[in-house]
Amino acid sequence: MQGISFIRIIGVGIKSLRLHKLRTALTMLGMVIGVWAVITLVAIGEGASHDAQEEIKSLGARNVIIRSIKPPSMREQMQGDWESFFRRWMAIYGLKRTDASRIKDTVPGVTRVLPLMTKRMTAIHGPREIGCQLIGTYPYYPEFTQAQLVAGQFLNEAEENSKVSSCVISLELAQRLFAGHNPLMERIVVSGYESSQVFQVKGVLQERASIEKLAQLPDSVGQTIAANVYIPLSSFKALYGEKNVDRSVGHLKLEAVELSEIRVEFDSVDRVMPSLPLLSEALNAGRDERDFEIIVPIRELKALQKQKARDTRLLMYIACISLLVGGIGIMNIMLATVTERTQEIGVRRAMGATRGDITIQFLVETLILCLLGGGIGVVGGWGFAWVRHHLLHTTTIVTEWSVLVAFGLSVMVGLVFGLYPARRAALLDPIDALRHA
Amino acid sequence: MAKRSIIQIKDLKKVYDLGAFKVQALKGLNFDIEEGSYTAIMGPSGSGKSTLLNILGCLDRPSNGAYILGDDDVAHMDDKELSGVRGSRIGFIFQSYNLIQQLNVVENIHVPLFYQGKDISDHYDHCVKLAEKVGLADRLDHRPMQLSGGQQQRVAVARSLVNEPLMLLADEPTGNLDSTTEQEILDILDELHGEGRTLVIVTHDDAVAERAERVIHLKDGLVDQDIRKGAAKAVAN
Ligand SMILES: Nc1ncnc2c1ncn2[C@@H]1O[C@H](COP(=O)(O)OP(=O)(O)OP(=O)(O)O)[C@@H](O)[C@H]1O
Ligand SMILES: [Mg+2]
Repeated sequence: MQGISFIRIIGVGIKSLRLHKLRTALTMLGMVIGVWAVITLVAIGEGASHDAQEEIKSLGARNVIIRSIKPPSMREQMQGDWESFFRRWMAIYGLKRTDASRIKDTVPGVTRVLPLMTKRMTAIHGPREIGCQLIGTYPYYPEFTQAQLVAGQFLNEAEENSKVSSCVISLELAQRLFAGHNPLMERIVVSGYESSQVFQVKGVLQERASIEKLAQLPDSVGQTIAANVYIPLSSFKALYGEKNVDRSVGHLKLEAVELSEIRVEFDSVDRVMPSLPLLSEALNAGRDERDFEIIVPIRELKALQKQKARDTRLLMYIACISLLVGGIGIMNIMLATVTERTQEIGVRRAMGATRGDITIQFLVETLILCLLGGGIGVVGGWGFAWVRHHLLHTTTIVTEWSVLVAFGLSVMVGLVFGLYPARRAALLDPIDALRHA
Repeated sequence: MAKRSIIQIKDLKKVYDLGAFKVQALKGLNFDIEEGSYTAIMGPSGSGKSTLLNILGCLDRPSNGAYILGDDDVAHMDDKELSGVRGSRIGFIFQSYNLIQQLNVVENIHVPLFYQGKDISDHYDHCVKLAEKVGLADRLDHRPMQLSGGQQQRVAVARSLVNEPLMLLADEPTGNLDSTTEQEILDILDELHGEGRTLVIVTHDDAVAERAERVIHLKDGLVDQDIRKGAAKAVAN
């Protein structure tokens, strides 16, 4: 027998699909929802975990952050003798520059240490006054924190002696203080409780997200102020003395902290965890109270990755359920049509169709349905991900395997449940198929 | 016999095995049907008329006995060969029309050719001519659902003719129709017989049997009477 034109078989398939528009639409809906859900959910999960890892990475996985925190004895409520009262009123605690050098000298694998001094101040330019954090640090601060210089230059120790001190401001502060004007070479006043100082802006720095935001760690330095003013550590010392005295407004309290933070950089990620005990030891020397905390980004990263893996798994379960529901929908509709289609198969067989003819016809028909439904699902999932990523600016990453799994699985379900009943009907004697009315 | 036999059946039996018991629908039939003849098969309900016709139409297989169609032993053909026989040598007309809902009149008429690998574009005129022959010239684009029962049966008749079959088989083709429509369909069948086609029709209706040259009466799965009108002789079996 000569072959039946393949185009004609497709035509026959489209005709039957169009005859039963509602059934076709419902079957396709099942596929669309299943495929769409899997692709979308996986993309959301993938995007979230990608974001978290990027942010953690930006903190520097090779780095360890040590922060001054007020020891418990200074945090208690007013009570007892004069000495403890004094300790609370004039709280002297925290990291010292000697700690920084001891870490550099005694902990193996440390390549650099970055000391930071911070102070809460107000930045003034024209009529605008913005609360800010003054940070005294070294020129390699941007590399260390992976901050990005978006304009001008960063600090440079050689310029210390000029009449007007230079400073660099963070992007957020630049936006709030200058509101669209170019801040470079402008002068700002940084004013605190005891003094006001004029600085010339020579650069704008974009900070990366802080670890607090990610890991919800207790914050010791006060809220993370993204409005930062950076000056050289030496200027900081010259202007505000060796001890950084901070007065809390409205409280009769003085706090003196020499270094707010020390950042330690190791030569490799693998060196970080084994060196932690030595790091603690170096810090504990000469201390009777723990007035610092150690933040280990690599540890946070690992915990976060575990958490994200759990979240993604949960999303996968939900996705699988939608796929299952979609599959059951497909199954249901396809099985429900068996009676009607069996009679049609009987008629076609009576008119000379072989079992193979029937099988091919239903294969093509089901394939059209499945590819169309799955295709719409893929396009829908991809489209949703695109909109979420590009228009809603939420990282959403479509992974190839999710597309393949979702598409493959639903096409398979469709094929099996579309083809199996048809094949069974085709195997009947024509008269039995006809009697199926 | 001047004319050659198209159908020869010998000791044809059909048993339905229902598990608990067996139904002997046909208990051993013997007869020939000649080319160009017009035969009616009659008999009480349950006597095996449909069973016989389905076997003659290769829709069902006999449990026992020989069935020679033309020169071929149909009883021993495999499914693929039987499909070929159904598609190219037999025109079957059902009581319930059995048209394909998603196809229009011309496409329905074309179906048997489709499975012979003959494209509709090459045979469109032929299909239209058949539609005209059964009086559906103005309904070519209609779907079965848009046609009356009589019109649907006309489509079925046209469809049974499309592959120039050796014979036409009809199982109560007018069973679902009113008497006027019945007459119209029977007129068409008469016309086909006049053109020299071989017809076998199962019917309950004496009016239908009137038109046939020969009436085979079945009873309990056996031939009760075989009446040839021209010779007016009854052969008891
Ligand atoms: N698929 C089947 N399974 C079991 N028994 C069957 C089947 N088809 C027919 N029979 C039995 O075979 C016998 C003959 O049935 P058949 O349909 O040939 O009768 P009929 O002469 O066409 O009757 P009617 O005039 O009512 O159409 C009946 O007893 C019937 O019950
Ligand atoms: Mg019957």
